[in-house]
Formats: sequence, C-alpha cells, structure tokens
Amino acid sequence: MSIDRPPRYPGYDVMQKRDTPSWDDVTREVIDQRLGQRNAPSFCNDAQWRALDALCAVIVPRSRAHRQTVIAEGRIDDVDNRWEDPTVPVAALIDLKLLHDGRDGYRDARLPPIRDAWRIGLAALDAESRQAYGAAFADIDATRQRTLVTRMQRGELKDAAWEGMPSEVFFSLRVLHDIGSAYYAHPQAWNEIGFGGPANPRGYVRMQANRRDPWEPAEAKPGQEAQALQENRRAQ
Amino acid sequence: MINRTADGLVAALGIAGGALAAAAVVKAASSHEAKSSDEALRTARRVGASALRLVGKRTEIDAHIHAARSFNRSSALLAWSALTDSAIEHYRGSFENRAMYTPLIVGSLSLAAGVHGGADHIGSRHPIRHAIYLAAAGVGLAGTGFHLYNVTKRPGGFSWHNLFYGAPLGAPAALLLSGALGAVGERLRDEPAHDPRLFGMPAGKALALLAAIGMAGTVGEVALLHFRGAFQHRAMYAPVTIPPIAAALLATAALSPPQPNWWTRVWLRATALLGALGVGFHLRGVARQQGGWRNWSQNVLNGPPIPAPPSFTALATAGLAALRLRDTEL
Repeated sequence: MSIDRPPRYPGYDVMQKRDTPSWDDVTREVIDQRLGQRNAPSFCNDAQWRALDALCAVIVPRSRAHRQTVIAEGRIDDVDNRWEDPTVPVAALIDLKLLHDGRDGYRDARLPPIRDAWRIGLAALDAESRQAYGAAFADIDATRQRTLVTRMQRGELKDAAWEGMPSEVFFSLRVLHDIGSAYYAHPQAWNEIGFGGPANPRGYVRMQANRRDPWEPAEAKPGQEAQALQENRRAQ
Repeated sequence: MINRTADGLVAALGIAGGALAAAAVVKAASSHEAKSSDEALRTARRVGASALRLVGKRTEIDAHIHAARSFNRSSALLAWSALTDSAIEHYRGSFENRAMYTPLIVGSLSLAAGVHGGADHIGSRHPIRHAIYLAAAGVGLAGTGFHLYNVTKRPGGFSWHNLFYGAPLGAPAALLLSGALGAVGERLRDEPAHDPRLFGMPAGKALALLAAIGMAGTVGEVALLHFRGAFQHRAMYAPVTIPPIAAALLATAALSPPQPNWWTRVWLRATALLGALGVGFHLRGVARQQGGWRNWSQNVLNGPPIPAPPSFTALATAGLAALRLRDTEL
C-alpha cells in the first residue's frame, strides 16, 4: 500500500492561488464545484456505485490516504477505510462524467462508448468476484480486490459478463484513464505532486527545465525542507 | 532564490533613478533653450528670482563643458535603461549565474555618476566618475561576451532562433554606451575651452560620431526584437525608420564641415520623442498581454521591455549636445 512519506512540497497549497491572476472565473466555478462534490451517485445504480467506489479505493488509495495510521517501527497499518468518505470523491467524479456522457472524442474500437464500457466492466467485475469469492467486488477484502484487479490488468478475466470486451483494455483505457484523470483533477493531488494548478491568465515566464516561477511550488530536497516550506508559503 | 520583495526594491530604486535621470535631461533641454534665447529676454530673466539666476550663470560655462554635462545625463539615462532592463530580465533568469548581478551594481553606479556629472560644471574630469564609466564600459563589453556565449551554447548554436530567444546581445551594449558616453564626457572636461579635441579630431565631431554609432547599434537591436515581434503593431516600424535617418544625418553632420544642421536636429528631436513615446507603447503592450496589468508580475517580464525605448532619447539628446558643440567649431 501507499507509504506516508513527508510531503515533497511541504506547506504548498494550490488553493492559495484561488483569488490571484492564476485563476479566472470559469476556473473558480469549476474547482469550487469539484471541491463541493459529495461522494454519492447520480447516474450509477446501487450495485454499480458500490463496485466503482471500491475500485477507486484500490486504484488510488491516496484518495483515502489521510486516514491511514502509521504504527511504530515504520510499519504501515493497512487500515480498512473503504467505508469512510474519501478526501477526493473519485467515484463521484466518474459518476458525473457518466451522467453527462462525457466521451473522449476518440475511442479504441475494442471498447464500447464510455457509459456502456463502465456498465459492462463494473457488472463483469462483480460477476468475476462472485464466481471466485462468492461476494460482490465491494464486499471482498482489499487483498482479494487487488488480486482480481491484477488479473483484470493481465487480461485473465474472460467471463461472459464482459460481453467480449478485453478486460486488460478496459483496465488501461477506462479504469486507469478515468480514475487517474479524476484523482489528478483535484487540488489535493496537485498539492501532492507540486503542480502549479490553473494558470490563466497568469501564464509562465520561465519555460526552461528546472526553473520555477515564484508562484510555483518548490520541491523539498533532502536537508532543504525548511527552505522549501518558506518558498511554498509564498507560492501564491 | 531572490524573493519578490527584493526585486520590488530594485525596481523601485531603478524607477526613482530613472525619474532623476529624466529630470536631469529635461533640465538640460530647458537650460539650453535659455542659452539660445535672445539677449534681451536673458537680461530680463537675470533680474528675476534666485532660481533664474542659476540659468543666467550657466551661460558663462564653456560650450565643451556644457556638452560634457549633456553626455553625463545621456549616460545616466542609458544606465537607468540598462539597470532596470537587466534587473527585470535577470530576475526572470532567476539570477542563475552570480555574474547576473553585475549590471545592477555597475548600472546603479553609472546612473549615480551621470546624475552627479550632469550637475557638475568643473572643467576637469572627476576621477571616480571616470573610473565608474570605464568599469561600466568594461562590464558592458564583458556582458556582450557572456550573452554571446549564452546564445552559442544553446541547442542549434549561433542561429536566428537563439538570437531571438537567447540572452539579447544588444542589451549589455546599453551599459557599454552609457560607459562610453560618460567616459568621453569626462575626458572632454580636460580639454581647453578653445578647440577641444577628442581622438585627434574636433570634440564636437567625435561626440556626434559616437552618438551616431550608438544609435545605429541600438537600431540593430530594436530591428531584431521587433522582427521577432512580427511588427504586429504599425508603430513598431517607427524605431527602425526614424532613428536610422537621424543617425545617418548625424554622422553626415559630423563628417562634413560645421554648418547649420537644423534638419538633423529635427530628426534627432523626433528620435528623442520616440524614446518617450516608446515607453507608452510598451506599457500598452504589457496591458495587451493575457491578464493585463492585473497580471503585472508576469506580464512585465513577458511583455515588451518598458525601460528599453529611452535609450533612443539618451542617444538623441547626446547627438543634439554634440551638434551644439559642433556649431562652435566653425
């Protein structure tokens, strides 16, 4: 599971830039909506929602990471926090995408359009889980969930419920694509990876490698954490 | 890393210095008018307040000292331009190399020397000012070398693209010109009032040639960068049209025997005015960038350089001063 290290961009909060030239009105509106999003379905049915939410917890455990507790001697206690509210409502963001039938504008011919792909994929995951462990995907433990997802990635799941859709293609082009996009569309993820965030109308003036504009976060190099912390408090 | 407060401070200093230099140049222009106005008016003024007595006193200053002071002032304006421009651009370059602080120090010194020299009518060179000017010229020359190295070390080497987007070759030349104008001004003070000479020729001729060469170089820099800017505004043609004519006329005036040069003066005055108008156009250019002045902390760096155009004002006023001296060489 993910290990809680000290943050790479200590003290950096992309939201400090909300009311600076980094954000325009449209950005503010969109991000406010994203931050106010409850983790609840408006398109998926109950079974789909439970499977989707469980799958998101497997793919981006960081979306629930803040509730993990570190035990002494560096061991990480893999607390089962699947049922808690995530800090990033990844499943709800995907549900929203399905509600608006938000297609990519291109499609791998091996997959149906986004709504159908997710409908088939989530149902097939539940079917595979019932067949292997006798319970729906959301109800098996985290280790078994990861096993099942790993087999999906390898293309080993071939139940009739997949309706001919290759599970590894569904994994790489829908599961990773959609869940990854949803997680990294959230300010929490931007803070983690030190992304400057929206920059319109601001724009960048230092385009060379390893140069940063004053409003971009500074990475904490070993031994320079305090300096990075100071820089990041000013990054706005 | 340099923080924004420090940069703000540098910018504020630079702007204050620029205001001083501009004031000095304007004062010089008005004093010249007083000098050339007719005798009756001057006598009338002499009766006036103590402030005006200063103007009257200035008429006793030798013509070559007058020209030397003009060159001090022009040098100050060029120093201000180089100082603020390098402060802005080197801040953008994150002061990656420690040498990038040098033009800030030397530019400030040259600016101070220019303001001091502009008000000084002593008929001999000031050793400290002279030393500063030589240093400024040296740093300008070294800076051109550094910038050339920066251009050639980029992928693609010495190419148009790197000339456009690498360190600007012409920028350190402003400091070089500031030093050259100042140093020549200081040397001129050592010359006798009758028939002052520089570089083995009449001083007015030498000064006019120097100003003309400086103007031609500046035109080259502007042509390169306005071409990079695709001449997207019609006004961008003005600084590659008017100053070259002024420079050519000034060089001709220098090389031909002394004569009334009113036509040359017209073009030099137009060039001086252009330098001031250019600041306005560049301010507008910044406003036209995404986010406008509300996004100033980015757009001042990304937009057209605000402190650059006054270089023309400095060189044109130097040219006018040179012509005034040339007139006495009949």
